[in-house]
Amino acid sequence: MTASAHLDAPVVEARRLELLRRIAELGGAISPVAEPQAKHGYRYVAPGGDVENDLAVLSRQNYLEARFFDRVSLCPKCDGCSLNVREICPGCRSAHLASEGLFHHFRCGYVGIPPEFAPEADDGYRCPKCNHTMHHLGTEYDRLGKAFVCRGCGLVCEAPPLEAVCLACGARTPAENLVSAIAFSYLITSRGAEAVRRGRLLGDDDEPVRVADAAVYRRTVILEFLTHQMKRLTQLSEPFSVLLVKREPGGTDAEGADQPASNLRRLKGCLRDVDLIGQLADSLYVAVLPHARKRDAETARRRVETEFGPRSPFALTVAEIRERKDLAAALAGLAKRGDAE
Amino acid sequence: MNGFLHYFLSALDPMSNLGFSRAFAKLMGSALPSWWLEVVLPVAFIILPAIFVWLTYLVRPALVRPPLSARTTQAAPLVSVVTAGRNEAATIGRCIRGALLCGYSNLEFIFVDDNSTDDSVAVAKRAALSVTCSRHDTERVRIFPSPRRNGKASSLNIGIRMARGEFIVIHDADSIIQYGAIQHWLLPFADPQVGGVAANIRVDNSGVNLLTRLQEIEYAMKFTLAKFFQAKISIMDIISGMGGIFRADIIRGLGGFDTGLGDDRDLSTMLLKQRFKLGFSNDAVVWTTVPETRYHLWRQRMRWRRNIIKIRVSKHRDMFMLGRYGFANAVIALQLPARLLIPVTLLIGLLFASCERGMEGAPEIIITYYWIIVLFLLIRILVAREVASTPKLINFPLIFLYPFYVLWLEVPNIFAEWSELLRIGAKHPYVPDHIWEEIPWW
Repeated sequence: MTASAHLDAPVVEARRLELLRRIAELGGAISPVAEPQAKHGYRYVAPGGDVENDLAVLSRQNYLEARFFDRVSLCPKCDGCSLNVREICPGCRSAHLASEGLFHHFRCGYVGIPPEFAPEADDGYRCPKCNHTMHHLGTEYDRLGKAFVCRGCGLVCEAPPLEAVCLACGARTPAENLVSAIAFSYLITSRGAEAVRRGRLLGDDDEPVRVADAAVYRRTVILEFLTHQMKRLTQLSEPFSVLLVKREPGGTDAEGADQPASNLRRLKGCLRDVDLIGQLADSLYVAVLPHARKRDAETARRRVETEFGPRSPFALTVAEIRERKDLAAALAGLAKRGDAE
Repeated sequence: MNGFLHYFLSALDPMSNLGFSRAFAKLMGSALPSWWLEVVLPVAFIILPAIFVWLTYLVRPALVRPPLSARTTQAAPLVSVVTAGRNEAATIGRCIRGALLCGYSNLEFIFVDDNSTDDSVAVAKRAALSVTCSRHDTERVRIFPSPRRNGKASSLNIGIRMARGEFIVIHDADSIIQYGAIQHWLLPFADPQVGGVAANIRVDNSGVNLLTRLQEIEYAMKFTLAKFFQAKISIMDIISGMGGIFRADIIRGLGGFDTGLGDDRDLSTMLLKQRFKLGFSNDAVVWTTVPETRYHLWRQRMRWRRNIIKIRVSKHRDMFMLGRYGFANAVIALQLPARLLIPVTLLIGLLFASCERGMEGAPEIIITYYWIIVLFLLIRILVAREVASTPKLINFPLIFLYPFYVLWLEVPNIFAEWSELLRIGAKHPYVPDHIWEEIPWW
């Protein structure tokens, strides 16, 4: 790290904290807005010079959770997003295409593009093959879907390839070879909310492992635990269970209060000492229950439900992990349920 | 000596109890010209082409199976493979893969789906993707899903309209082009008079049951031996829709296929009338899937036979004006009456011979005749096996059943011929109603 970087560090931290504060004021989320002049076609309406980079850094540091917003196609040569994408002739690569429905004459079976059929005075056409006139669409002749005819070489094709021309540098690239960048929207995490509350970014010694002041492990840590558990399952055939916990937005505890940190501590209190709780997403937690079969996990779930009562702030799902796919299925099921809700 | 020979032959004769040797001896010593003219010569005509092919293969093998030139100065021409099909999801995938992986690089594949109700289009796209590795590689594979059912002829015309190649291969969706076939297929086009070349059609599913095994024997004789002979003396009358390649400018000049008829025979006849030659390539192998049940086989043969009558007797009856389209075409035109008359003459010959010898001699004559046919068949399939490695050796014993198979196939053939001649049930089931109502009454 250079000396100037050391000097700039407080400034950068203040800028990022301000950005977090702004996101909190916006309701905890920030989404990009379309801006043709921006580098990748989107920009974030927020204070600061390098908002995009700051958001990415804050996301890496777990203050923000990045979510997919859009995918932007970029020129592989100049990284610009001003692209003219159009169909081209697969034969001569010309963009001079016309979309025309092929004519099909029932009587002789001739198929051709409309200019081949000479128009008649009575709004009909004359078939170039059998020289009969065609008047009635549907009974004498038909249009066969849509086809692209190249005005350069005459090639007819139904699905011509796409090509992009960069309006900035003029590079011509097949559409499948374009590079793409993902634009994210960002949601503030509990760690981010804690930083805003404390008025400073949390250092390495603050919450290196756990999420803010809650009794749960951070996403990367709990995923590491899960990976170890999966290794034990593979090598030692030790099945385990997981308790997937989804925090309901409007949920309250038995006293009617919505206190995430204290609720998580109470949740931890319902489990064994060896059980680990971690945060997977903003409102999604997982409790890893080593050496627990499904029956044991169900017992833990009932204990939690009893603790929080009928107005529990958590929706609980239990899954026993016997194979690698079981974990994926459990997470997918939870995500699907979340989407449906 | 003669007594010993007779004794020896009697022991070898599987039909000794029925007197084959005796009947054959009588037959060979017969002074009845009708017997020779009506029974023996028609069958000999069937065997002569095989002998011709065999002798040619012995003396000049390159005439039967011309080798590819090791060094060629010309660039490989673009070949467009056009396939049309309806509800062909079961076979279109391997058809596309076979064509794209046949070892000919300058090739494009066009599949026209005739408004299928199954997932033919999806299967075709997947197959194309599996070979080209790019969904945007529309230069090599183009799939056109027709929004309305138009029949095979019109669907093929769509494909021909989209094709860019100098040569156009027309083949069925249940056929597979063998590796290296295209290079051999193009060889006869060195002659500028050749307008189209037939492939050597082989049976892909011969091992399924007795019916498919018998069809393999039939195809070996009809599509391998007979086609080669016919092409050599310019009397080949059809390039099968299962596998044929044409010059694109000729096929476009004809306006493609006409609707409502057997597309392959109609196009072949139009080429012949324009004085183009039809060629045959022994090494351009196309594998086809033959019908596996009696019902489907009879339907196929009835369709084929009706098309022959419809095209020869109705649409292209001017071919019978001998000399109008040249000698070879006159011979081709006369094939139809010969095809109709030969079974009749055979029957008359048998009846005549039976009357000559009395009814008690009839079984002997029929059995003799059966063995003559089996002998000729054996010669033919031995030649086919030598020249084109077909049929499989395991199917050789079926030649004893083959005459009965041919007789059995005559039932739908004769029914179809007379139905078509009398215009009974003329509506072609493969032609959609809206097309049928518009086409001329051939």
